[in-house]
Amino acid sequence: MGFLKVQDLGVTYISGDQKVRALDKVSFSLKEGETLGIIGESGSGKTTLALALMGLIGKKDLVEGKGYFQGKEFLSLREQEKAKIRWKDMAMVFQNSLEVLNPVLNIREQVAEPLIKHLNLKGEELKGRVEELLQLVGLDISWKEAYPHQLSGGMRQRVLLAMALSCKPQLLLVDEPTTSLDPVSRKEILDLLERLQEEYGFTMVLISHDLSCIARLTSHLLVLYNGRVVEEGKTPDILEESFHPYTRGLINSSPNFFAYRDLWGIPGEGAWGEVEGCSFNPRCSQTLASCRERIPQLEEVAPGRQVACHRGGIVTLLQAKDLGKEYPLKKKVISAVKGVSLRVREGEVVGLVGETGSGKSTVAQILGRLIKPTGGEVTFQGEAFNGKVTRREGGIQIIMQDPFSSTSHRLTVEQVIREPLEINRIGTRQEREERVREALKGVQLPWDPAFLGRFTFELSGGQRQRVAIARALVMRPALLLADEITSMLDPSTQANLLRLLKGLQNARGFAMLFITHDMDLARKVADRILVMHQGEVVEEGSSHRIFTAPCCCHTKSLLEAAFGHHHH
Amino acid sequence: MGQVDLSTPLKGLDKGKAGEKLIKFWQELTAFGKVGLVILLFMIILAVGAPYFTWLPHDTSSGPPLVPPGGEHLMGTDELGVDLWSQISFGARVSLLVGLGTALLAGLGGGILGIWGGYKGGLAERILMRVIDIMIVMPDLPVMVILAAFFGSSLTNIIMVLALFSWSHPARIVRSQVMALKEQGYVQMAKSYGAGDFYIIFRHLLPELIPILAVSMVRLSGMAIVTEAGLSFLGLGDPTSRSWGLIINHALNFSGIYFTPFWKWWLLYPWLFLTLLITGLALFGRDLERIADPRILKGRY
Repeated sequence: MGFLKVQDLGVTYISGDQKVRALDKVSFSLKEGETLGIIGESGSGKTTLALALMGLIGKKDLVEGKGYFQGKEFLSLREQEKAKIRWKDMAMVFQNSLEVLNPVLNIREQVAEPLIKHLNLKGEELKGRVEELLQLVGLDISWKEAYPHQLSGGMRQRVLLAMALSCKPQLLLVDEPTTSLDPVSRKEILDLLERLQEEYGFTMVLISHDLSCIARLTSHLLVLYNGRVVEEGKTPDILEESFHPYTRGLINSSPNFFAYRDLWGIPGEGAWGEVEGCSFNPRCSQTLASCRERIPQLEEVAPGRQVACHRGGIVTLLQAKDLGKEYPLKKKVISAVKGVSLRVREGEVVGLVGETGSGKSTVAQILGRLIKPTGGEVTFQGEAFNGKVTRREGGIQIIMQDPFSSTSHRLTVEQVIREPLEINRIGTRQEREERVREALKGVQLPWDPAFLGRFTFELSGGQRQRVAIARALVMRPALLLADEITSMLDPSTQANLLRLLKGLQNARGFAMLFITHDMDLARKVADRILVMHQGEVVEEGSSHRIFTAPCCCHTKSLLEAAFGHHHH
Repeated sequence: MGQVDLSTPLKGLDKGKAGEKLIKFWQELTAFGKVGLVILLFMIILAVGAPYFTWLPHDTSSGPPLVPPGGEHLMGTDELGVDLWSQISFGARVSLLVGLGTALLAGLGGGILGIWGGYKGGLAERILMRVIDIMIVMPDLPVMVILAAFFGSSLTNIIMVLALFSWSHPARIVRSQVMALKEQGYVQMAKSYGAGDFYIIFRHLLPELIPILAVSMVRLSGMAIVTEAGLSFLGLGDPTSRSWGLIINHALNFSGIYFTPFWKWWLLYPWLFLTLLITGLALFGRDLERIADPRILKGRY
């Protein structure tokens, strides 16, 4: 049995007739000296979890489940016994705010309070210990007579830390230590936490929105959504490749984790109270009917990784193995693509980068079924890859580089967008017209009859490319292949188009294979990166990993060429 | 793919728009093109309305032979006393029929073959190109003379033979155009959506091909009319057809015509009409070619 073990912890807040389930069946265990990170949006139950462990949930509210601390059950202890453990064995650093500290006590009195209460220290001993603690957290002793409102946020955080550490607890619960701190204080606090943990060897539970802080301090990670654990595993593994769509959304919305990427939040509002089935399903990009029926249980999907998802985590949408494309040329054989294997998961943006002639577009054309590969195997949504994938809704659609070639100048906007529906006889005439209008709205083009009747040659390159995107969207694809779609556009049009496309991707949740030679664009858009060189994939990984710590020397030289020497 | 909604491109052709398009088309033409079109229209009206514009029979004698122009005989008579104006009016029918028939036959046939070869590619395309090569190296006139002599010289035969020797031109340009169009993104996209060959040909290829085919057909008809006149002049034409070439042939067979004043009408008028028609076709064709160039077309229509 570990140092800390929690089983089926549940918390229900009760006020009058209203019951709010804040935590539901949360289980985890922690070894001594480890640090567990807890992440989740506001209202996901992170703080409730810490409060429940501390035994600070109100008396009226309901706490269920079992918790073992050093082998002893502690959640069911009576208040008096709990109070003994609190501060002495486990302490909590509360989220930094003015209200946490008593406004009428000065710093010395604040820090002394737990020392008096739990350790019965008096006189010189008490004074010495307070000063020692203030020094320990790097707060000048001259501040000890100051009142909370006179301190800066960073200083208050240090006071809170000093209070929590006063009785040398073995378990420290830290709630949002870096919120509302400036970058310098933030770094100092993190350094301090790291140093203190090294010195004191306490076990830590770190609750934070700040993924870079999580990445730095924690070894294990618990992802909470609507009071339930949706993903659990080793921190670096989860950050490199998240399995739950919610975790991925959290990572994508974190500016401090990988600063270059564009910010995109998880669409929709966080769940509130009871949701039928999986509570993430209204915001999920891969919902099935069964997701609305049952609550998913945590299941092991990889060694040490657990995910609560009916679909076993983010589903692999497209898997290609050993793709090859050879062109006979006179007596020689040119290999444009050699043994390329790739994987695109539901709702993710994979950037396929490499210099011109590296075979990127050939891969896109193979996957878009414009050309046939000479070798290899592709599965899409778990089924064999055939011509149907581009002909049905929820399949694969490709957007080509040149909008002037990919849309016929002899057709009107409506005819172009309606074409795939018409060829595949999807919907009635009215439905088709409605869907054309919808697609045009999606790409932010006018949808009045005058515009629908315009010939495509009357449009600008950017508009025409948006018409091409609308034609792809009208088929509601699960995977969109975007082959250098902005390379022929000016920077402003390119920016607008990319934001539009990424916004659509974020809102509708389709997956995208984004092919580009422009590393800046890839860095902005992609969740994962595949680097191609001379027809082969030379490196693959999450975009923050590739762009901050590339392994392959070719990737390094690509980044060097794109971003110059400042990068690293 | 069975039923595909092809009705929409025709939507634009309701009455008002069609009129507008014609006016626009007229404005596109240069002065030469306009002259050419007027000549063509004149010839067509002349041919269609021949019975109304003439007052004397075109196939039997209606007066003394070799009467100079003037009076009842607007353009004089030939050696049998047949009215020349009537002959020329009705002869326009033959010339236009030969021109139109050959152009349609060769244009459609060549167009279909060109689409087939270009679209299918591979073996079909290679076979087509070899046959076209053979047609190009074959000397047309001697072979035509032989064929005309062999199959007899009815008007239909002449049209067939002419078509046989002229389909390779439209076939070649259509083939190369189709091969280029096939690589266009929108054709590839349509294919990836599962569009059938017929859909692609009718929806995407034909609209691009029709203008260039039209140009080719105008050229072919000019060539056919000259060749028919040439064959008739050589005495290989349909003797019953009374084409302009045949009038010239009869006139030249009149021994010593240049020593008489008869050539001034007997030879001059059919020659004039023939030249006028060919010039009209050439002028119009040249303009049409300019307009049909997709790059120019793109900006305007």
